[in-house]
Amino acid sequence: MRVAYYSPQPPERSGIADYSALLLPALAERIDVDVVRRRSRRRRRADVSLYHIGNDPEAHGWIVEALRRRPGIVVLHDFVLHHLVAGMTLGRGDGGGYLDAMQREAGPVGRMLAHGVIDELLPPLWEDRANDYPLAGEVLASSSGLIVHSRYVERLVRDSGYRGPVWRIPHPAWPPPAEIAPAGLPEGRTIIGCYGHLNPAKRLPQLLEAYALLRRRVPEALLLLVGSLSPGLELDPVYDRLGLRAGEDVIRLDYVDEARLWALLSACEVCVNLRYPTMGETSGIVVRALSLGRPLVASDVGWFAELPDEAAVKVPVGEGEVPAIADALELLVRDHELRTRMADAARSLAQGEHRLDRVAEAYVAALEEAAGGAVVRAAVLGEVARAAEETGLSANGDALSDVAERLREVGPGR
Amino acid sequence: MRIAVCAPQVPFVRGGAEIVSERLVDELRQREHELELVTLPFKWYPGERVLTQAFLWRLLDLEEADGAPIDLVIATKFPSYVVRHPNKIVWLLHQFRQAYELDGTELGQFDESPEGRALRRSVHRLDKLALGEARKLFATSANVADRLERSTGLEAEVLPHPPQELPYRCDEYGDFILSVGRIDRAKRVELLIDALDADASLRCVVAGDGPERDRLEQLARERGLNGRATFAGRVSKQELADLYARCLAVYYAPVDEDFGMVPYEAFLAEKPVVTTTDAGGPLEVVGDRKTGLVCEPTATAVAQAFVWLRDHPNQTREWGRAGQRAAEQLTWDAAIDRLLA
Repeated sequence: MRVAYYSPQPPERSGIADYSALLLPALAERIDVDVVRRRSRRRRRADVSLYHIGNDPEAHGWIVEALRRRPGIVVLHDFVLHHLVAGMTLGRGDGGGYLDAMQREAGPVGRMLAHGVIDELLPPLWEDRANDYPLAGEVLASSSGLIVHSRYVERLVRDSGYRGPVWRIPHPAWPPPAEIAPAGLPEGRTIIGCYGHLNPAKRLPQLLEAYALLRRRVPEALLLLVGSLSPGLELDPVYDRLGLRAGEDVIRLDYVDEARLWALLSACEVCVNLRYPTMGETSGIVVRALSLGRPLVASDVGWFAELPDEAAVKVPVGEGEVPAIADALELLVRDHELRTRMADAARSLAQGEHRLDRVAEAYVAALEEAAGGAVVRAAVLGEVARAAEETGLSANGDALSDVAERLREVGPGR
Repeated sequence: MRIAVCAPQVPFVRGGAEIVSERLVDELRQREHELELVTLPFKWYPGERVLTQAFLWRLLDLEEADGAPIDLVIATKFPSYVVRHPNKIVWLLHQFRQAYELDGTELGQFDESPEGRALRRSVHRLDKLALGEARKLFATSANVADRLERSTGLEAEVLPHPPQELPYRCDEYGDFILSVGRIDRAKRVELLIDALDADASLRCVVAGDGPERDRLEQLARERGLNGRATFAGRVSKQELADLYARCLAVYYAPVDEDFGMVPYEAFLAEKPVVTTTDAGGPLEVVGDRKTGLVCEPTATAVAQAFVWLRDHPNQTREWGRAGQRAAEQLTWDAAIDRLLA
């Protein structure tokens, strides 16, 4: 089987590029994969096309355009695609496209809201109302099947009315490097690490506030923030308000390469990954932390809520969030045995359902079903339909609804 | 209890699976349950027929019959376990092996076309659904349970089925090797013919019928084995018991077999079994140099194994009797206690 594979690729700084760099060699061992590059115009001869789509218009706009030309299987890395759609319309001076997208999503009200945004009467919807208007409709409509990573996104796509096949496949796990360099962080400190691009959804004010509470109880704690900072996100005023000293109580490092990331992840006692709102995404950082056996504190939302309790302490978002984060951190920092148990559970999760070869097998299964599924469905349904007609079952009768349900269960009816 | 035992049936073909289903029905009836064997013809080709046949099982309503509830459904093999029932137990004899470990081999069914691959995957997904619904899952051997776990992630308890009832006895350790079972490619009777070709002192009787019989008879003639390889066809229970009673030992070396009743039948006649390192389920039953010999799947190795047994009558008898003691542990009482627990 030959698959045309559309995804951002390294050296692009994108979690999905890293994901593809991990997955592709394992897929290529099993099937014939033709990796399509940005701006490639060559017409692909493939049994099926696979499109990795996330919320970043720069990384994924060209992939959506390819999907429009040729429907295929979409790996839906985010369910909320408002930012992507806004970037592909307003970002290219296509106000009409944005109006149409919002109208498809929410009817006349959606169109009016979009007018409000274009005329700068309303703040951009993608900043704080993207979850209300995910704008995934066009991508879903062009998808002949979806690969998702969580039950959460599976439910969202079904709730949105998507009727095509959906395969839930876990995010693949990176095996930890054989050798990890020393992190070079201060000795004798209990390091709590937060990694990845630092944007408002990472709940940094809440994390810093909780950390300030923890510091009073665990003075040797040290918060490590690793990742590029979102424009407009100022941390110094928060440090000042909470009495935290940059470089002493909190160390912040900008984007680091993969080897350094593993070193820094390996140096922490506890990894924190807070999130709200969620776009339905997974976290490559969390998956790396699982591989390393690092206990996690995560927000109780979306994919993160589906992490097993044995490997992650989940904290609520909103009311009670700050003390819950502080309590979770203190519990993990103080209880060595608990950390050991959670580390074992994390590793076994990474080596189990997230194991790369298992994930690659699941991808191949989905792609094989997708590539030949239509022909199989036509053959089976044709035979059943003939039998139904000869038996006198009418297409509108109740009896056929039971037949259809049983067919759906057996497979070809979906 | 009102129990429906569900098993597919390939018209005009009868093998171990049919024997097990019928015996299960009889044994349950003897224990005062009300029993029915529910069966549908199974045809697995052309490819999509696999799904339409599974769909027929899915359409059945076995929750009640004639106004009274059916308390339990026991299904045995693909596609009968696709049947719906709130109290479904599966005693798995095997999945549709062409979609799993036989795929890509000469015994496979689905080609490399997108349609062939999609059909195979449809069978996998259907297995996960249908077997995942079962209240309890048993597998007839560790080999079948392992395959199930690898392919679906589902765990099954290993519950071997007892061998068929025959007037087993041992009259002698005679001068022929016995092969019992359906003669198809998977049973690998050809290897026994090759072994006879490799050693002119060996004789065999092949009991059973199947699609490979004509070809193998022709092969035996071409190799000049006339008189040394006898194809007895389908034999009666009495004739089979006689063959077991008189043979030197039994050959049973299918390719990665699920379980296979033949070794236990041989043991009940106090006969050791020769099998091969790649035979799968039989390796759980035949202990090398304890109840038989396990050799490489080559004609020379198989021939040498039988020559060794012929030349060492004391060990042959001793291993046959050790097998008999093991086979006698396998009773329907124990099996049914676990099934209905």
